[in-house]
Amino acid sequence: MIEKTGIVDTLEERQPYITRKQEKGEVIPLACDNNSLAGAISQRACVYSGARVVLNPVTDAVHLVHGPIGCAGYTWDIRGAKSSGVETNRSSFSTDMKEIDVVFGGEKKLSNAIEELVGLYRPPVIFVYSTCIVGIIGDDLESVCKTASKKHNIPVIPVKSEGFKGNKSDGYKAACDALKKLIKRPEEGAAEKKSEMRSELKKSEIKDSEIEKTEVKKPKINILGDFNVAGDVWLIKPLFEQMGIEVIVSMTGDSTAKSISRAAEADLNLVQCSGSMTYLAKWMQKEYGIPYQTISFFGIEDISIALRKTAEYFGSEEMKKKAEEILEAETNRIMPEISRVRERVKGKKAAIYMGGPAKALTLIKGFAELGMEVVIIGTQTGKKEDYEQISYSVRDGTVIVDDANPLELADLLVKQKADLMVAGVKERFIAYKLGVAFCDFNHDRVVEFEGFDGFVNFAKEVDASINSPVWKAVRQRILKLEFVEPEKATAEEKISEKPYAKKCKGVALKPEFLHSDVAVESQV
Amino acid sequence: MTKRNYATVNPCVMCQPMGSALAFKGIENTMVLYHGSQGCSTYMRLHLSHHFREPVEIASSSLNEKEAVYGGTENLKKGLKNVIKRYNPKVIGVATTCLTETIGDDVPAIIKEFKEEEGIGDDPEKDIIIIPVSTPSYGESHVSGYIKALDAVVRKFSEKSGEEEFLKIPNGKLNLIPVESFSPADVREIKEILEFMAGDYIFLPDISDTFDAPLREKLPKIAVGGTPLSEIADMPNSRASIGLGVVSTNLAVKYLEDYHGVPGHNVPIPIGLLNTDLFFTELVRTLGCPIPDKYQNERGRLLDAMVDVHKYLYGVKAAVYGDPDSVFSLTTFMLELGMNPVLVSTGSKNRDFEKRIKQIFEEIRPELEPVVLDGIDFDTLNDAVSECGPEILIGNSKGRYIAKARDIPLVRVGLPIHDRVGAQRILTVGYRGALELLDRITNTILEATDTFTAPVQVEPAAYAGEGAKDERVEGSR
Repeated sequence: MIEKTGIVDTLEERQPYITRKQEKGEVIPLACDNNSLAGAISQRACVYSGARVVLNPVTDAVHLVHGPIGCAGYTWDIRGAKSSGVETNRSSFSTDMKEIDVVFGGEKKLSNAIEELVGLYRPPVIFVYSTCIVGIIGDDLESVCKTASKKHNIPVIPVKSEGFKGNKSDGYKAACDALKKLIKRPEEGAAEKKSEMRSELKKSEIKDSEIEKTEVKKPKINILGDFNVAGDVWLIKPLFEQMGIEVIVSMTGDSTAKSISRAAEADLNLVQCSGSMTYLAKWMQKEYGIPYQTISFFGIEDISIALRKTAEYFGSEEMKKKAEEILEAETNRIMPEISRVRERVKGKKAAIYMGGPAKALTLIKGFAELGMEVVIIGTQTGKKEDYEQISYSVRDGTVIVDDANPLELADLLVKQKADLMVAGVKERFIAYKLGVAFCDFNHDRVVEFEGFDGFVNFAKEVDASINSPVWKAVRQRILKLEFVEPEKATAEEKISEKPYAKKCKGVALKPEFLHSDVAVESQV
Repeated sequence: MTKRNYATVNPCVMCQPMGSALAFKGIENTMVLYHGSQGCSTYMRLHLSHHFREPVEIASSSLNEKEAVYGGTENLKKGLKNVIKRYNPKVIGVATTCLTETIGDDVPAIIKEFKEEEGIGDDPEKDIIIIPVSTPSYGESHVSGYIKALDAVVRKFSEKSGEEEFLKIPNGKLNLIPVESFSPADVREIKEILEFMAGDYIFLPDISDTFDAPLREKLPKIAVGGTPLSEIADMPNSRASIGLGVVSTNLAVKYLEDYHGVPGHNVPIPIGLLNTDLFFTELVRTLGCPIPDKYQNERGRLLDAMVDVHKYLYGVKAAVYGDPDSVFSLTTFMLELGMNPVLVSTGSKNRDFEKRIKQIFEEIRPELEPVVLDGIDFDTLNDAVSECGPEILIGNSKGRYIAKARDIPLVRVGLPIHDRVGAQRILTVGYRGALELLDRITNTILEATDTFTAPVQVEPAAYAGEGAKDERVEGSR
């Protein structure tokens, strides 16, 4: 029944989604970007989940889920996105639709709920998420939200996230569509100034008299696709500020309705989570003429590229110099700790299973900086071009997988002899049961992984999990007792020398301990 | 108190399909499949995995737009087929979700069709048993999902096939069926009690291993353990059923009594002295054997501890929240200890909840006047806490928002517990459970009210000389 031909045993229909790294230039034969296979146990969630994870860090918004209680319940404050101000986003709001609402429609309840919440929380924006049921019974979210917006004089934005209408990626798009509605067109003057910015900056190198003028007009950027998990953004913003750049807003980590509304004033968008935010960046380019660059703030190499690319874009020698100064000072500051960890983890094999491809790609570099190699890499929502890039970045033989399921992951971890897995909560316990170290790079983490100090945190966590003595202990899952030969057993003195040798009902037994240095192959 | 009629803020219940998974996961060699969109399974896996710290596999029929319009028949069949291929289970529990209930998929009919197509018969010995249960998320709560799933399981295994009458062969066993999910530790304790009472029993559902698995040589595809299928099939032959829980209606116990003549007795979940006494009384009555010394001693130890702590606990105002029957039993125990449960609440809507709670107050401490609420969300609980002023909170980890904001200590009991380890090992039932709970509650109060300070020490250097001493004292100011 089960196909035995592929890299791992799996369903025939799943085989095209698992491949090995190909030689450069070859088209990667990997199927992706499809709906999950029924019964295969995908690690993906739904459209609603995609929309919710992107929008949820908007701190002062009321995130109202129009649907039955579950959808709101399971997503209540499950991401560690930090806020520097109010935390309305950490509450879970729902219309808690009941059978009667399903039969007679939920529009009335929704508009009443909006009114109640406006009265209680006075939010600057309300996002109204539609769920499976809303898509079926056909509540007109658009019109309810429109009416509510007028009545309460705040944006009430429908997020079209019916769970079944696509996959997580479609949810990202729904979230971006909602963000678009918050972004305001800059006033006439501001827009003009912005278009002059680059030339102004270049001029300033020549004309000293211009310097003062450019200092008034600080270059501005947005960071797209950073969700401030554990406070990541707070380690990134200061780097740009030191370079003389203003970060208008990070979308959506630690953002507010107000800061998002100013996004179009930016000169440049830096896109980190490309899977979720490229769509918005492209729109801003078309609508407001703001170019974007794809970057990452994880790992020394990628942070360096991000800062250099940005300085390069604005073109000022002074800024470039400042970027180099920052990079040198910060790298020197953290290098002793990174080197210490590198000595302890180098040569170990890592498995990566991420929601989006951007994080997977940057992790490959991060592991290289720690001297580790990647043996499995997979994502839930990668597209063809993402996998091509991934394939280009990993070593030969690395397994690449799309929309993996628990049995495939377990099998791969064993076959590829991974020492550490980086993924989210659902994957954590699979790794643990197999005796594989684990690092959470999802919403569950409580320490920053971005920026220089973040990379130190990451290195420390990798070290802590890989080098814990528990892995030695769990190699022996059953306490094995060895019968001591009668000849040896008669030599009473010899046995009693060993404190752990016991005479049990006339039979000498010797427990087999594993805390010695003997390397034993994992039993799994 | 903030009056809200339409918006729910911070839910205190989960939806029905999750309850069904808690039930199905306690059955030997069983897989669960949600007939709905992909997110339901992923979210509930996350929720349970985080709580039990175990891998939790729940399949999905992964419906998309096309199926939502034309019906999910093909996806459900494909899902079942793939689950069988990959996991080779003996039982598949199929729970519906709001999506498939609303589009009107006739799940029992689809399953029938599927079985015919795949040549799956009705022989429980060799054929896969597929059990549908209707659990739309817009109906009731996870508690009802749990009760409905257990009812569906018992019915499936004891239904009369065709014209045949169910042939009754008395087995002398005792059925034990809870109305709410117990922790694995609680299930283990109940089983141990039965073993010491020399009672032959069937506990459904047994999550003691499936949700608290030892690290084994190999990672099994389906968690080892669960109530054996042969035992479930044998439940109609038992001498009696004990339903654990008195607030919610135990459908499985009722079915076994109504259709198979197995007398059912519902007792409160055995948390605390009185409730555990009632449980043992029921065991002695049905099994006809005395209480073993071991439990007389445990009971004695509980009494001893109750005396030891009575002054710390007397009059301590407490707020408790959670599933209806757990709250009922926890409240009883608090009253026995002399505590004052000023706020007793549950997220589930339950008509009998208030009546039952008031009754127990009337029996034990009629002078107290608690606030009793059902169908609440955490925002309502927060308002009630502000009004009632409890000194301690007892419930799941979602109460930590209130606990932190108001600086009230929280004793974690129930599901979910996402912010501490050991949820699967929290023991509350039996005399030992009561003892552990009593210790945790008392120590939490002691920790919060502790006035102990380390004695002020003179720095050793101060003895060096008169001048040095003066300087040190000056400095320390």
